[in-house]
Amino acid sequence: MKPLVPPTPAALETVRALAERQLSPEEIRAALARPIGEAEEEESRALIGWFRRRYPTPAERLTYARRAYRRWRAALPTAVTPPPGAATADRLSHGR
Amino acid sequence: MQGSEFDEAEFFRGIAASGARALLIGRRALVALGIPVLTADYDFWLHIDDIAAFNAAVEPHGLLPSRTPEEARNRGRYVLENDERVDVLVARTVPTVDGVRVAFDDVWSRRRGLDVAPAATLAVPHIDDLILTKRFGGRPKDLEDIRLLEALRKEDA
Repeated sequence: MKPLVPPTPAALETVRALAERQLSPEEIRAALARPIGEAEEEESRALIGWFRRRYPTPAERLTYARRAYRRWRAALPTAVTPPPGAATADRLSHGR
Repeated sequence: MQGSEFDEAEFFRGIAASGARALLIGRRALVALGIPVLTADYDFWLHIDDIAAFNAAVEPHGLLPSRTPEEARNRGRYVLENDERVDVLVARTVPTVDGVRVAFDDVWSRRRGLDVAPAATLAVPHIDDLILTKRFGGRPKDLEDIRLLEALRKEDA
């Protein structure tokens, strides 16, 4: 098995810029009008179902989120620091 | 960030005890409700008259405000930070990117309480309102969160 090669700081910055981009009202309306497909809904509900079964209380979920964030930070290239206010990053890789 | 040193339950307990009308929004609220997303900080929407009470509640955690209450009211937001970061929105109404005006008082009246520790009930918006707050920012990741919230709403229906 090949070892995991972490993304470069430049690649991470590119992804971050895309994720933080401000959408126009037209883009927002178009996105909100797009119905959730059956497969996407099933996947999302399965993810939520797993998380709620594994962590039944809000307190357990919040504790898990702090632990997962620390793990995510530890895996980042050292040169990369999330920008102030980066309240969000990515969906968790939770190892289902 | 040394997350392990931060007593999150005590943080929420202090806010609850302060009487400040503070709604947890953002991805931390999604997590509390049951959506596994990654998040670095805390986002609150605070009643415009409760800034001082909120600041006093989190001060024992070393969280210091970036602005005076008056400045925060004028700008509509401020930050509290040390090793942790708390983004605070203070506005009576906030427009979504697509033009819907959302009033704090309306959202507060429909809030849910989540017990996160003994004597610590966390106020979060009703899921419909949480979806609206995700339209304040209008970034691609906000849209992704909205779709997850819609799945959660169906799960709870």
